[in-house]
Amino acid sequence: MDMLTKPALNVVKKSRKGYHITFAVIALLLALSPFLIDGTSLVQFLGKCMCYAIVGIALDLIWGYTGMLSLGHGLWFCLGGYAMAMFLKLEGTGGKITDFMQTGGLDALPWFWTPFGSFPVTLALIIVIPAVFAGLVGFFVFRSRIKGVYFSIITQALTWAVYSLFMANSKYTGGNNGITDIASVFGKTKGEANRPNLLLLFFVTLAVLVLVYLLATYLTGRKFGKLLIAIRDGENRTYFSGYSVNSYKNFIYAVSAVLAAIAGALFVNFNGSITPTQMTIGYSITMVIWVAVGGRGTIIGAVIGAFFINLCEYNFSSGILVEAWQYIIGAIFCLTILLFKGGIVGIVRDNIPSLIRKIKERKKPAEKEAA
Amino acid sequence: MEQLVTTLFNGLSLSSIYLLVALGLAITFGQMGVINMAHGEFVMLGAYMTFCTQEFFKNFLPESIGSFYYFAAIILAFIVTFGLGCLLEKVLISRLYGRKIDSLLATWGVSLILQQLVRTIFGAQGVNVNAPAFLRGGLEVNGLTFSYNRIFIIILVAFCLAMVWLLVNRSRYGSRMRATMQNRPMAQCMGINTKKIDCITFGIGSGLAGIAGCSVALLGSVDSTVGQNYIVYSFMTVVLGGVGNLFGTVIGAGIIGFSSIFVENYQSASIARAIVLLIIIVFLQFKPSGLFTIRSRVLDEGV
Repeated sequence: MDMLTKPALNVVKKSRKGYHITFAVIALLLALSPFLIDGTSLVQFLGKCMCYAIVGIALDLIWGYTGMLSLGHGLWFCLGGYAMAMFLKLEGTGGKITDFMQTGGLDALPWFWTPFGSFPVTLALIIVIPAVFAGLVGFFVFRSRIKGVYFSIITQALTWAVYSLFMANSKYTGGNNGITDIASVFGKTKGEANRPNLLLLFFVTLAVLVLVYLLATYLTGRKFGKLLIAIRDGENRTYFSGYSVNSYKNFIYAVSAVLAAIAGALFVNFNGSITPTQMTIGYSITMVIWVAVGGRGTIIGAVIGAFFINLCEYNFSSGILVEAWQYIIGAIFCLTILLFKGGIVGIVRDNIPSLIRKIKERKKPAEKEAA
Repeated sequence: MEQLVTTLFNGLSLSSIYLLVALGLAITFGQMGVINMAHGEFVMLGAYMTFCTQEFFKNFLPESIGSFYYFAAIILAFIVTFGLGCLLEKVLISRLYGRKIDSLLATWGVSLILQQLVRTIFGAQGVNVNAPAFLRGGLEVNGLTFSYNRIFIIILVAFCLAMVWLLVNRSRYGSRMRATMQNRPMAQCMGINTKKIDCITFGIGSGLAGIAGCSVALLGSVDSTVGQNYIVYSFMTVVLGGVGNLFGTVIGAGIIGFSSIFVENYQSASIARAIVLLIIIVFLQFKPSGLFTIRSRVLDEGV
């Protein structure tokens, strides 16, 4: 991978300030948006986008920084999503068994559903389950030094395996339909009458997004972040320098899984349902597309990419472009990988400073002539 | 006993399909190290090519040669996917050598485009391929039925495997290919046109996917996602067998195919799938680089 030379290091320092400013602007715009937008559907959609942005950050931490491409982050997203959905479903039924359990022939709540009756326990489980699971997977995968594309294939297979399990056990998980007809934590959000609930949810999600951004920049901005980049660019060198590479990889993988799970848990509130579709490989790779298009290894790129791709999709999902969208996203993806490795952030970072310099230089002769 | 024979036959049949899909990957991934996420879409294209030839024969040619459409389909599917594979290599993959993860992502973009292309042309509904007349029915032995199309697939796979083995190990082109993949600069010094070799090798891998598509078409309805069903297993097959080892791929396909069928005897298909994948993941703990590995002392194998 690319080594940083000294001028490049200056660019990194300068651009980091730019990233923070950009994120502040995005957060501000998001905070204002509910008051500028009529109707609830777009607000709801922006809420989902914030969840996507959190997943994007999670992926960026392990792919952009550490160089491990997970093709199965939908798994962690869904673990969080299902945990939250189970709690919300039990809220709706008053702790009784659900419709799909009845059709499946169960007459009592399965034992692993009972903890999700309580909100604090659910919140804890949203974090603990992915952390433990990802920690275990990471421990075994990294211990046997599976890396690069093999890591991608393993994560893909794992996600597929869990997806099959969720599909097969429909009396416990709702199968193909998933868990549907659920309100948010703050009550119903659909319709104009429930706007206050939606706004509350929206701002809680925004706060989480800001916190996740701060956490990610905190982690990557210090020596820890430098080590992640070192692992990406020269794993064996880092290893020989005396660092326990596996522990670092395992830690960041678990952190990433937890962040994705939190995003999934928030997402369910906006979406009103969770299905195994969100766990498919296709969906997981779509998440990677957001990061790649936004700009990997920059945190802010993941946020920009998630909003950019999803807003485009939102606008194209009606009318004649609905078919063309798949072509467009496929082409965007190929072109980004092929020509703009840095994504949107990379294009701006590499071109804007020289553009400004050019404009300044053009002004100078003009001033001289005037004098 | 009868149960056992049926299970073994089904296992052999399933393994051979996985092997056929994985055979192309064993070349593109195993030999060249390119992760082609569009491999499943080449399989799908092969299946659609079968459908197209079937329709063409039905509408424009006399009925007497109607059932030979299938052989024409195999050849057509190979040619079309071979061409597309070469094109993909020239346009996209040749620019991404040394960036394996990026080539994985770029080919995923291609697979999205191909899937939508098929939906645009043939519609979102699946199409059906009728097995040619000589493959209908089955062979009856002692009251057990072995369907002809499954037997045919097994023979087809054996044929493809033999051809690939001959091509890689016994032909002039094969020795050039192995030279290129093992030591590129040295191969170039010996006057081998490595770019051409890359292109053709990738084309052959894709062409094999096309042939796999023909056999997949015999097994059920064909739609734009048919390739996705096989891609995870075929990657696992190659990884399990040991990347870069043809024999390993055969064994890998056998293990996955037979264990799926055996587990399916006791559990539902979805649970069987999950169990088999988990077994493979656990297995890779003990043999991280697969069953059969090429011994190497290189530290960073350009992952």
